Amino acid sequence: MNDSYVYIIVALLPLVAFMLMLQANPYNALVIRGILGAVAALVYAVLGAADVALTEALVGTMLAITLYAVAVRSSLVIRLGVLKDDWLEAESDPDAAPVDRPSLTQLITHFRTIARRYHLRLELIPYPDLQSLNQGLTEKEVHVTCSPRSPQPEHNSKTDEEKSPSYYTVTRIRRLYDILQTELSSPTICLTYVAPPDTGEKH
Amino acid sequence: MNLMLIAMILALLIPIYEAWQDEDIWQKMLAFASAATKTSVMILVVSVLRDDWMIGVVGVIILSVGNAGLMLLAHLIKRMSEQ
Repeated sequence: MNDSYVYIIVALLPLVAFMLMLQANPYNALVIRGILGAVAALVYAVLGAADVALTEALVGTMLAITLYAVAVRSSLVIRLGVLKDDWLEAESDPDAAPVDRPSLTQLITHFRTIARRYHLRLELIPYPDLQSLNQGLTEKEVHVTCSPRSPQPEHNSKTDEEKSPSYYTVTRIRRLYDILQTELSSPTICLTYVAPPDTGEKH
Repeated sequence: MNLMLIAMILALLIPIYEAWQDEDIWQKMLAFASAATKTSVMILVVSVLRDDWMIGVVGVIILSVGNAGLMLLAHLIKRMSEQ
């Protein structure tokens, strides 16, 4: 038990744990967690605890990583509601958009860049019309909606059409609003925050 | 034989450094696969050195099951990057 290599192997464990702490991206942290599990199993086996090493390898590395990957994948996501016609148009012919307003494809690319910066995933959910899009926002199916027309009817009666933004982006999450406000610099996008209706739920 | 194990520890430091430095997720997965295999082979070497069959069986199981966990994680990351 007094071999010199034991000390070096045990020193690997805090080294990898420190590396795990320094990761910002959750997926990268998961991979480093796998390496930490492998090194921990090695340390336990070298110190003579074969049963602990087996548990660490089976539960700590395989099961924990898989469960965490599923959890991270389902929680770190922005669900963006768009209109179906708009989306199909943008999908089929991305260059067909008029010159004076940016296409939805450009907007989605912009959103994707922002999401990647915050390690989020962008998920597009198409809706058939504007009413169901707004309903999806109030029923918490989507986090952000994006439509070429205003959700409030009084915005449509604006006289100066030249200055009005061509896309209205509505979010119901305060943190997303703060992020998008800092990152979205395009004047063609109007960003609105809608406070979620109070359902009386206490979290 | 101790020198051989110390050389294996030094070889284990290479994928650990690679996993730390490289930002690409697939490079990290490669480093993870490398580190997982190296540690289980080291467990096998230690078991032979000490003539301990209990550690040897654990080393074999970790060598085979660790790769299954890696494959599950790789599938999830692949499905995520396809979207």
